[in-house]
Amino acid sequence: MFFKNLLPGLICSMVLTFQLGAMPMQEDTGGEKKQKGLEFSLYGDLNNQNCLKCHGKLVYSITDTVTGQSRKELMAEHNFISPDAFYNSVHWSFNCLDCHSEGFRSFPHAIETRFEAGWSCLDCHGYDPAYAQYKFEEIDAEYQKSVHFTATDGAFTCWQCHDAHYYNPLARETGSGRENILKSNEMCLHCHGNPDIMGLVTEKELTMVLPRHEWLPDVDRHLAAVRCIDCHTRMTDSVLVAHEVMPADSAVNTCADCHSQNSILIGTLYKYASKESRDQKGFVNGVIFNNDSYVIGANRSKFISLAGMLMIGAVLLFAGIHTIIRIIIKPVKKYYE
Amino acid sequence: MSKNFYHYPVWVRLWHTTNAVLCLFLIVTGFSMLYSDAENELVVGFKRAVSVHNVCGVLLTLSYTVFLIGNLFTANGRHYLLTIKGIGQRLFQQGYFYAYGYFKGEKAPFPVNGERKFNPLQQVSYVGVMYMVIPLLFVTGWALMFPEFILKRFLGFSGIFLTDQFHVILGFLVVIFLFIHLYVSTMGKSPLSNFKSIITGWQESH
Repeated sequence: MFFKNLLPGLICSMVLTFQLGAMPMQEDTGGEKKQKGLEFSLYGDLNNQNCLKCHGKLVYSITDTVTGQSRKELMAEHNFISPDAFYNSVHWSFNCLDCHSEGFRSFPHAIETRFEAGWSCLDCHGYDPAYAQYKFEEIDAEYQKSVHFTATDGAFTCWQCHDAHYYNPLARETGSGRENILKSNEMCLHCHGNPDIMGLVTEKELTMVLPRHEWLPDVDRHLAAVRCIDCHTRMTDSVLVAHEVMPADSAVNTCADCHSQNSILIGTLYKYASKESRDQKGFVNGVIFNNDSYVIGANRSKFISLAGMLMIGAVLLFAGIHTIIRIIIKPVKKYYE
Repeated sequence: MSKNFYHYPVWVRLWHTTNAVLCLFLIVTGFSMLYSDAENELVVGFKRAVSVHNVCGVLLTLSYTVFLIGNLFTANGRHYLLTIKGIGQRLFQQGYFYAYGYFKGEKAPFPVNGERKFNPLQQVSYVGVMYMVIPLLFVTGWALMFPEFILKRFLGFSGIFLTDQFHVILGFLVVIFLFIHLYVSTMGKSPLSNFKSIITGWQESH
């Protein structure tokens, strides 16, 4: 949320100037911050509206300006931009041409636009004190060490997981909730569940995800309760979401890594929640309960453990005292005399 | 002069031994899971602890079934029939004996004889453990092996969470019972006489 509020104040002055000129609606509302969301998309800036006339619809129409003939066509799925999702993303205030080249201004788009260089996150967010807290440079360093980078000769970019049209800080907004898990895993399965998409960045044959995870007991429950990256990235103390994706054979494969009182989940899936809240609710790793989850071995009631141990201790103490008195008095011998 | 009574027929002794061994495995693996630590695995690693715990839990269920059938169809079952009337007084008498009378050399208020194998305290604790705690452990333990059958939420809590907490509490009760059982077993004619009884079948009156 903070990131969203901060963004308009941080974008460069050129973009601001351009936007103010393109969006008179902002001035008309007495200088109030424009509201994100669907309402805004209805009267959004002219540039975006022009682009979204086609790219914001699954069916668009084109007209032959010579013959005047019109026809409807389906928009290719990968060229479709959901206006609702875009205007709810952190980049909602940008105009399409802030990032896309001028070649897109005309239609049909020039062939050069097909080879337009894509921006990486670091191009805008890197080495800028305003974004220092998000540690983009460290994220980039982790990514450069990850198998995603090394195994694809750099063909894999930020965009493969983070579509800037729809980007929202998932972990910060949803904490360790199930929504975070679902959306995070969707990112991975977008490629790892689709050989054609994966083929865009690597020649490596896609290995099916589920068979590789059958060693997990109750596999469905496991895969719904943790993110892929919780096991497949190298845990770090620094960035919120680790980006150094490891080769498959280096992934977590020991039960006790998660099912223990020093569970790695606290440093991965529950890192943000555990930083935000220290409330353990009387349980070891109680922050896991925030997600309606319960991890045997990682979660333990301090009260039950203490009460159980005290009772065992009391029994042993009583038995010890009783034994000492028996040794001193020798009652059995006395009884049978 | 003490008398000997044949209170532990072969099937009881076999069941008891099986029960004891399985319970020990279950306790050790149960504690290994409860206090699991990736860097300092307590006795048994988590993965092995889960496997051994599951296998022993299933075997204990089978062994318990043998015990239940045996108690239903043999004379051993009568020792587990509680007479509620006057039970408070009988429990007090036995407790007083263990805490005080025993040291004074007083006669046991409920000595072992041909009809009586357990004193009131033993009887109540054995009935409680064998007919209440152990069956509930089975229910919760089997449920945890097949969590898809557990209610997702109950009284605002996760069903698995409640089931496991209940299982842990019951497990602690069994551990506490085990220590008391072992200690009281040393209070026969000699500290080892009751242990010999469960091997030979013959129990000395005391």
